[in-house]
Amino acid sequence: MMKLLSLLAFGALWLVTSGHGVNAETGFSADVPILHEEATTAGIDQSYTGGWEFFVGGGAASFDCNGDRLPDLLIAGGSGPAKFFVNESQTGGALDFRPLDTGLKPEDLTGVLGAYPLDIDNDRHMDLVLLRLGRNLVLKGGPDCQFEKANRSFSIDGGRAWSTAMSAIWEKGNRFPTIAIGNYVDRSAPGTPFGTCEPNQLLRPRAGDAPDYSDPLTLEPGYCALSLLFTDWNRTGQPDLRITNDRQYYRGGEEQLWEMSEGRAPRLYTASQGWQRLTVWGMGIAETDFDADGLPEYALTSMGDTKLQKLDEEAGEDRPTYRDIAFEKGATAHRPYSGGDPKPSTGWHSAFADFNNDTMTDLFIAKGNVQAMPDFASYDPDNLLLGGFDDTFHEKGAEAGIALNTRGRGAVVEDFNMDGMLDLLVVNREHPASLFRNLGAATDWGHRPLGNWVKIELDNGKINPAAVGSLISVRTGTRTQTRRIQIGGGHASGRTGFVHVGLGVSERATIRVQWPDGEWSHPYRVFANQHVRIIRGEANARYWYPAAQ
Amino acid sequence: MMTSSHKGRRRRRFGSIAALVMCGLASPALADEPWAERTQALGAIAEMPAGVLSKDDLETLITNGEALFGAHFTTLDGVGRPRATQAIDPTRRKHPREQVFFRTAGPDAGSCAACHNQPAIGGAGDFVANVFASEGFESADFDSLDPQFSSERGTNHLFGAGLVELLAREMSLELQSVRSKALSQARAAGSAVRLPLEAKGVDFGYITAEPDGSVNLDELDGVDTDLVIRPFSQKGVMTSLRQFTVNALNQHHGMQADERFGARWTGTDDFDGDGKSGEISAADISAMVAWQATLPAPVQMIPEASGWAEAADRGEASFTDFGCTVCHRPALPLESLSFADPGPFDLAGTLNERQVSSKAVYDIALLDWAGSLPRDEKGRVLVPLYGDLKRHAMTDNQIDALGNELLSQRFVDRNIFQTAELWGVGSTQPFGHRNDFSTLDEIILAHGGNGREARDAYAAASDAEKSALIAFLKTLVIVP
Repeated sequence: MMKLLSLLAFGALWLVTSGHGVNAETGFSADVPILHEEATTAGIDQSYTGGWEFFVGGGAASFDCNGDRLPDLLIAGGSGPAKFFVNESQTGGALDFRPLDTGLKPEDLTGVLGAYPLDIDNDRHMDLVLLRLGRNLVLKGGPDCQFEKANRSFSIDGGRAWSTAMSAIWEKGNRFPTIAIGNYVDRSAPGTPFGTCEPNQLLRPRAGDAPDYSDPLTLEPGYCALSLLFTDWNRTGQPDLRITNDRQYYRGGEEQLWEMSEGRAPRLYTASQGWQRLTVWGMGIAETDFDADGLPEYALTSMGDTKLQKLDEEAGEDRPTYRDIAFEKGATAHRPYSGGDPKPSTGWHSAFADFNNDTMTDLFIAKGNVQAMPDFASYDPDNLLLGGFDDTFHEKGAEAGIALNTRGRGAVVEDFNMDGMLDLLVVNREHPASLFRNLGAATDWGHRPLGNWVKIELDNGKINPAAVGSLISVRTGTRTQTRRIQIGGGHASGRTGFVHVGLGVSERATIRVQWPDGEWSHPYRVFANQHVRIIRGEANARYWYPAAQ
Repeated sequence: MMTSSHKGRRRRRFGSIAALVMCGLASPALADEPWAERTQALGAIAEMPAGVLSKDDLETLITNGEALFGAHFTTLDGVGRPRATQAIDPTRRKHPREQVFFRTAGPDAGSCAACHNQPAIGGAGDFVANVFASEGFESADFDSLDPQFSSERGTNHLFGAGLVELLAREMSLELQSVRSKALSQARAAGSAVRLPLEAKGVDFGYITAEPDGSVNLDELDGVDTDLVIRPFSQKGVMTSLRQFTVNALNQHHGMQADERFGARWTGTDDFDGDGKSGEISAADISAMVAWQATLPAPVQMIPEASGWAEAADRGEASFTDFGCTVCHRPALPLESLSFADPGPFDLAGTLNERQVSSKAVYDIALLDWAGSLPRDEKGRVLVPLYGDLKRHAMTDNQIDALGNELLSQRFVDRNIFQTAELWGVGSTQPFGHRNDFSTLDEIILAHGGNGREARDAYAAASDAEKSALIAFLKTLVIVP
């Protein structure tokens, strides 16, 4: 028997070493992108600071303000002024930003918690909504990064609340967007801060040729929103409004989904409709659609475990009943993955993206203690959960180089140097923002490029030119990936511009667009590693190239 | 308590495992014997070549590449892809297939040379060696010759292929520089700029650049929208010998190259599920590319038969007069004979120069046959390919014999093909993309679309003129 066992052991050894094993799966084997922190050399110097009102927030907006299609930045400063930065990065090169003085008064840029870009008046210059402690500010964008305050001209009051979240969508038939503003604690209410959440606001445009938001609706009850997202959760073509709320301060509250109906005041989905009570320290919402079935999944960041919600097939398509798949997907990210602190994590901004261009969806989560909460990890590095071919996530933040000892808040996942590999900006509390350049995969001779990619910009025409609400479907072989153009979600941070899709080894792709009004485009055939512009009504896609340097 | 029945099953299981182990113990030794049923050349090149190769190093690499090209791969090497389709993108099969070989959807060949053998290894294939080109996504298991599932194609020869790829690279750079120029001018002027796209004298339509940095691609002609000339396959849809090699090894043999089907891109070292991992290394691919890239260019050779030389002269003149040379350009000028591998234009999934620490450079000028290539007054090699590396519509309402396909391929419509390079045509009958024209006369008369005018000129010519043209074409031969 011993001889037989020895023989078996030897045989097993040979099977393994000779590569003849039955199972050749190799764990996570795709590229890990190396994210090189270079904020200082890139000219980004901005910290998010302030008292407890600025424990939350800390966002940034990424958008093109000077027409060169490179993503420029506004970064919130909390008690300090928000700052603008113009992107002067060379294609594929080091990140390079120039601080921009817009001429706006410092007091207007102070108290900013977050910002979202949105072309409110359809003039093809991106406007900005600054979420502030106090009156929110709307900046109308002009050529060459000029901004002017537009609260009066757009008839947006701005309120007095502590605003922390925003989302926007063009509702059917409307010339201008509907804007939802999420508010946090009502600091003036008796008993504040506990149980005193401010209601949220819904700004629907009045009919007319100019934006007019003089008749806002109140979304009540509010449960201290920290992220809002208009989302077509049941592929009806009618987005509803999803809100994640911070249980730290509400009483009897929960996560919310507002049903948006044309011409009617929004109504909360109820338990009888399938909405299940969920209470988390909701910080950020991210949306993806893993299997491109039109029924999105959502990542909800919180203190402790991240939720990854998938519509429960057994509940029925038209019922917003979700099951949490975070554990089975390896995405709970509930405690730090490095540093040894066993306490729970605190998650903020979240974003799905393909950082390594392998076609698998990755998940970034900004992490950081609220301030000095003793029951939560103090060293709490941001997560880079790379999607594996085994359909689970693999934490690669340390290997990628983003495991810094900072308290992350908002973030922007963006290709700042237009090389097709996603870079990353993280706004940190009481610490300079981190700016990571994606160098590609490490090798023993340097860095090699990642997989193929395509970046897509839509032009929807005169109304909603940036095509907010569109669905982009990218087909390669038997695989379909989708991206929804959204304004909202994350944590106090938004972006516009080219939409990035990783293509892996595919050298071409077929793109179809479902425009905001629901109409599907014909297929556009494009080659990989191109910036693609799809102009509604044109037969062929165009390509775009950065200016030669 | 274990029953006797259980014990019996256990004994049998031990017996099976022991037998497997015995095989396992024996296999490594057997694999090294000269008669082993595996391909000895696989893995013989341990590392990818890098830098400029000496003639000796190049010849060693070429020898290994030829051995791989001629090898009859076996299941011990990894032949077969029971769980993968023939698709260029790694694609899982819905249901595993039991047979290793499958004539239509593939794997359909034991070796590269099984098809590429006319008149010698690396050559073309007869009709019997036709392949069935399918994207391999939705209808991966077709067992029909019905063109709704695949496009039946003849096997092209590879002689002079290195020169063809070099020409394509130079032309791609030329076209892309026009694009850059148009963009610069448009940005400077603040208005749209429309420029003709031309490379090596071949016209590829127009490109219009807008001042915002976008380009309108509506007027491109015969080239892909990324302005990369893809010179290989009947359609002109493959970028490089390297890409084609990786594709073909999977489609025709189920031999999967690491650089596309390996764990980096699929999560497994055995994507095709045949129990073999790491079937083809990047160095193996390099060797195969080196051999193909250095195959001698076809030549013109006039048989000694009485009157042939004189007829060929007249035929060559008619070839121009009829307008054949509008597409079948007698020669295209090539600046450099340095063939770099991996190359500049492949994208992820086929190694390119950005994915490796140092590319290898093969100086084709080192090879004896290269010395006889004609050069122009600028010292450029005049590659006598009789082609333009451009795609053309080959059918019209009256002449549609070359419109037999029903599927577009990689964004190229079904009746559009790259101009067939005619060098070697005298050694590679039958003719046409489906190999179903037995005479040169028939394939000439089958030209519709962009070839219609030349075809009509030929059709209207006297029998003597036609005969002379055939005499000329038959002098374009492959001399291995």
